[in-house]
Amino acid sequence: MIVFASALTFFFVNLAPGGPASIMRFDVSPEQREALIKLMGLDRPVPERYLEWLAGAVRGDLGTSLLTNEPVAARIADRLPNTLTLAGSALIISIVLGIPIGVVQAMRRGKLTDHLLSLVTAVGLSVPVFWLGIILILVFGVTLHVLPSAGVTSASSDTFADRLAHLILPAVALATTILPTVVRFTRSSTIEVLHEDYIRTATSKGLSPRTVTTRHALRNALIPVVSAVGALVPRLLGGTVVTEAVFGWPGMGRLALEAAQGRDYPLVTGLTVIVAAIAVLASIVVDVAYTRIDPRLRLS
Amino acid sequence: MFFEARRPFAVSTLALIGALLVSACTGAAQPGASTAASAQGMSVAGGTVTIPIGADPTLNPWSPNAFVESLFINRAIFEGLTKPGKDLAPAPDLAESWTTAADGLSWTFKLRSGVKWSDGTPFSADDVGFTFNDVVLKPDLGAQNRASYAAVKSVTVVDPNTVRFDLSRKFAALPSFLAYNAGILPKHVLSANPLTTTSFNKGVPVSTGPFKVEKYTSGQSVSLVRNDYYFGPKPYLEKVVFTVVPDPNTQIAQALAGDITIMILDNKAAVDRVKTANGLAVVSRPLVQYYWLALNQTDPRFTDVRVRQAFVYAIDRQAIIKSVEFGYGSIANSPITPALAAYYDPSLASKYPFDQAKAKDLLAQAGWTPGADGVLQKNGQPFKFTMDVGQRGVLEPVNALIQQDLKKVGVIADLNTMEWNSYIQKDVVRRDYTATVNWWTYPSDPDVFPYYHSSAAGKGFNIPGYQDQKLDDLLVQGQAASDLDSRKAVYKQLQAYTSETLPYLFLWYPQEIDVVSTSLKGVPELGLRDAMHYLGEWWLAKK
Repeated sequence: MIVFASALTFFFVNLAPGGPASIMRFDVSPEQREALIKLMGLDRPVPERYLEWLAGAVRGDLGTSLLTNEPVAARIADRLPNTLTLAGSALIISIVLGIPIGVVQAMRRGKLTDHLLSLVTAVGLSVPVFWLGIILILVFGVTLHVLPSAGVTSASSDTFADRLAHLILPAVALATTILPTVVRFTRSSTIEVLHEDYIRTATSKGLSPRTVTTRHALRNALIPVVSAVGALVPRLLGGTVVTEAVFGWPGMGRLALEAAQGRDYPLVTGLTVIVAAIAVLASIVVDVAYTRIDPRLRLS
Repeated sequence: MFFEARRPFAVSTLALIGALLVSACTGAAQPGASTAASAQGMSVAGGTVTIPIGADPTLNPWSPNAFVESLFINRAIFEGLTKPGKDLAPAPDLAESWTTAADGLSWTFKLRSGVKWSDGTPFSADDVGFTFNDVVLKPDLGAQNRASYAAVKSVTVVDPNTVRFDLSRKFAALPSFLAYNAGILPKHVLSANPLTTTSFNKGVPVSTGPFKVEKYTSGQSVSLVRNDYYFGPKPYLEKVVFTVVPDPNTQIAQALAGDITIMILDNKAAVDRVKTANGLAVVSRPLVQYYWLALNQTDPRFTDVRVRQAFVYAIDRQAIIKSVEFGYGSIANSPITPALAAYYDPSLASKYPFDQAKAKDLLAQAGWTPGADGVLQKNGQPFKFTMDVGQRGVLEPVNALIQQDLKKVGVIADLNTMEWNSYIQKDVVRRDYTATVNWWTYPSDPDVFPYYHSSAAGKGFNIPGYQDQKLDDLLVQGQAASDLDSRKAVYKQLQAYTSETLPYLFLWYPQEIDVVSTSLKGVPELGLRDAMHYLGEWWLAKK
């Protein structure tokens, strides 16, 4: 699956119009362009280059970046922790906020609270991240001056608290790309579960509404939510592209943007492989999580 | 832990909604920047200056991957034989003086003595010989800017303090070109691998300028500290930090928050907002840059000079300057910009007033008459073509304005907007285009040979592919004239001739807007990238 993704990416990026940024600039003469194409080995056929790349990749060598001459694996390893921190924080925010909001909406279905929260999530869903990001920076970085506006750490101080402060705004901005979806999934699946016979049975047994919700309803309602969250991981990683650009966050999203704009073929392919691996990993984690929530799925 | 985190985040979500309201009502409030330091007079040492850059730089002026974001640092740390003077004329840098031979076929540069690299190794003429003979002039390396040195055969090391550039033809502009992104590289570090040594390009390079790189953190920042081996006076600033901030709006927000000392304002729409901020000043600087509309000369409709002139009359260039440059620019009618004050001919500025009646008249003379639908026609064919638009800077709104103006005189231009990289491939590499708008930035010298000479038509920098014997002669004369007065005379003629014949349709000369902290002093009145050559003279007033 990952090999398939790499082949698809390699061929597509090489077929895309344009070329590496070093040759696609206004002030490069035709003879310089020719020399550089030769230096980068781009005068050789794409299948040949792909097989060479693949042979290296299985040994852990993802090739050399055309933009910086550094190993692709090193460039990604440099950025991966930052992206995982950002995306992980955004995921936690979305789950911690999204599930309770969805449950509250389901319990208060059709009431004012439900409508208000629906409105907020609808706004959240429709606001573009780059705009929200700038607004967050203007309010918290410029006007209130309580949070740093960009970067992963200050030039002068590099403490845990400083890093945490830098993380808040981008994580909140990125969370909005999936939070509304988590809320909606939770709301609809909770509503569905609340209509089930066993909930009515539990309620008629005289259990308190709280026990019914947390012990009976929520547990069952979470099953589709967990699979939805797994499916949201790729969207979250996609959202890092814009979020990282706005907040100057040195992660893989920004690297991917630079790689795509600069037609850094090995880097684009390497990033795709890593992201594909993360997506596969996320779906495995979801499968494991299922068995924890739903005992029926547990292997005896 | 799970639920403890909930409260603060819920608060921030509410604050977020508040934020939307605040920004909608007021367009953001005053920043917390402190008021301007009133200290004037004596320069003081110390302090850190922070400058944003758009992407990770490549710290090697000749690397083909050193893009515009690399210019700031490369100009601050690497020194050329010359540098742009405060009047933009070439000034001494690593060379103290230079002379041309009587036949004009060589230039000899006397080097400064006692210069050391930032690692303590002595600098010598061998480094200059290496930089040119083994890097720039080596065709298979594809060094950036190599095309500028087409006239240089080789560089001869005469003695440890003297080098001679041997030329295949006269090249009067050589000292100016050597001031433009032509930093000398250390032979003792780069002899094995001059353009792709990662520990140099993306790490801590060895350089000769007043500052040297302290630390390079990919995706985050590059910090400079004083170079203790620098030959000149000790710089005032203790540290200069370049932070990598890709989004121009985030850069503005950081300036408003007081996190940035000086920056180029790319988004000129924000100029009024920045002007009202405490502790920040806005200054405009001339640039050696002009925007143009190229009409491909392989299209017979555009070889008629009356058509080209008609287009210039038809386009309201003042309106373009007003709406996309917010007034920071002036109308261009030749390739020599007002920044090159010694050469610029201001009398041409009013040559083509906005006059659509005159445009229609000229088009009629060229055989283009309105059809039933108002669109101009000739031999039954409507005047219709496609303009390719690269997605960068102000190009999209500019093309839209030009399209509207041309429509009013009966010419239909369809816009084909393209991602930048693909655009370069189609329009520049393949020359597969009919009309396109772009700009040239060039060394601070009126020698525009590479962009206009017929030898560069169709493949080099002569984008429209315009070919004209008289223009070729003027370009060659300009390269041959070595004293200032005769150069001025040639380039005055060249300005008059190009404004008449319009090889490119000249649009406007942009100005740069710099946002500067009021405590920053000593920055010369040059474009910020050129001012980097003078980083050693910058200082911060005490607050």
